[in-house]
Amino acid sequence: MSIRRPRVLIVEDDPDLLVVLRVNLTAVGLDPILAGDGRTAISRIQAERPDAVVLDVMLPGIDGWSVLEDLHTMGDPVPIVVCSAKKNAEDMARARALGASGYVVKPFDIDRLLDAVLEAVGVRDRRTDIAVEVGLDVGVELG
Amino acid sequence: MPKEKDRTPETEGLRHESRVAGLREFRTPSLEAVERRRMQLWFLTTVTLVFVATGVLVLATWTSMGSVVLSAPAMRLGALAIVGVFCAYVIEKELRLWRVTRMLTDERVLIASLTNRLHEVSLLLETGRALSGLLDRSELLDTVLRSACELLDANGGSLMLVEGDELVTVSVRGREEALGARIRLGEGVAGHVALRREPILIEGHVDPTEFPGLADRRPYVESAMSLPLVHADEVVGVLNVNAAAGRAFTEYDLRAVAVFAEQCAAAIANATAFEAERRHVAELIELQRAEAG
Repeated sequence: MSIRRPRVLIVEDDPDLLVVLRVNLTAVGLDPILAGDGRTAISRIQAERPDAVVLDVMLPGIDGWSVLEDLHTMGDPVPIVVCSAKKNAEDMARARALGASGYVVKPFDIDRLLDAVLEAVGVRDRRTDIAVEVGLDVGVELG
Repeated sequence: MPKEKDRTPETEGLRHESRVAGLREFRTPSLEAVERRRMQLWFLTTVTLVFVATGVLVLATWTSMGSVVLSAPAMRLGALAIVGVFCAYVIEKELRLWRVTRMLTDERVLIASLTNRLHEVSLLLETGRALSGLLDRSELLDTVLRSACELLDANGGSLMLVEGDELVTVSVRGREEALGARIRLGEGVAGHVALRREPILIEGHVDPTEFPGLADRRPYVESAMSLPLVHADEVVGVLNVNAAAGRAFTEYDLRAVAVFAEQCAAAIANATAFEAERRHVAELIELQRAEAG
């Protein structure tokens, strides 16, 4: 009998990143599923109940912030790691207020992102070596 | 038979799951085929259960013979076993179909994002080709910058041309006061790009020690690209584009716009040569008139 691997939804419109994240998440024992826009993301979250979501904020149509707001309004408890090109305190505070469990600044170091995702799905203990300081780090725990 | 290059782990997994789920003619991904197979499965399930239930009902109510047959424990267990095995079969197939649906949805997402990207590249190439038909130099320079900003979702940028050992800003979007500004080759980001002939992707705040002579301009740009315009082994100028707020340019954007920059450089060189030729012809006509007069 096989053990169910934690399912992670990757929400990203860049095909290169989609493939890179899929390969890397699979390599660390996770089960990635994909969404290229906000609408697909919401429908897959509702239909397939992933254990975590990697959410890019810049998406065509419904953007990542709207997805985060919708999930927050619906009271969906799925852990979300937000990926953004912006490294500023306002966006991090906004993500935290909307229930995100992590915030990773693009371009990101893949190990940092994997750490954030593994923690979000509860596979790894809480990281303590990432400073919650804007401008010093690319990966930040918000929870 | 699938070609060797098509045999990625994902497509192999998809083919295996599809075969096991009963999609034997599976060649091209189709969610509709999965849905049809699912409908067949549930139709078969309904028919089988109705048939078994009817059979049991008929036997149970059919005179004394039915009750004798049904009273045998082996018969009852047999009927239960048939129903159990069939339900297990249906559940197993349904799980496989669910996996195939998931894989096909993933493939559709990837195909859609790749299609979008292809569309972006096609637009850049088409625009580049269209530019080569423009011979009015000032119109061409404005069109190059406007097209680059629109196609890359940029909120500003500039186009600089080489004049001697300097770069002159000939077209600007977003920071109009920079029009006409001059920098020496090797100075700042654009000067560095022109001198080295290498495109640069800027992420976050630029370190002034890396680019001597860099002017301190605020607000800072979070993401930008600077590309040399090279034609016939000559640097014609530099194209700079700044990303809109919240957008970060990627290596892919840099590669795509590099192709565009190549076409722009050729178009600018053509327009410059055409303008020089036109000026030369005008001078000759003027000279001829003076001699005739």
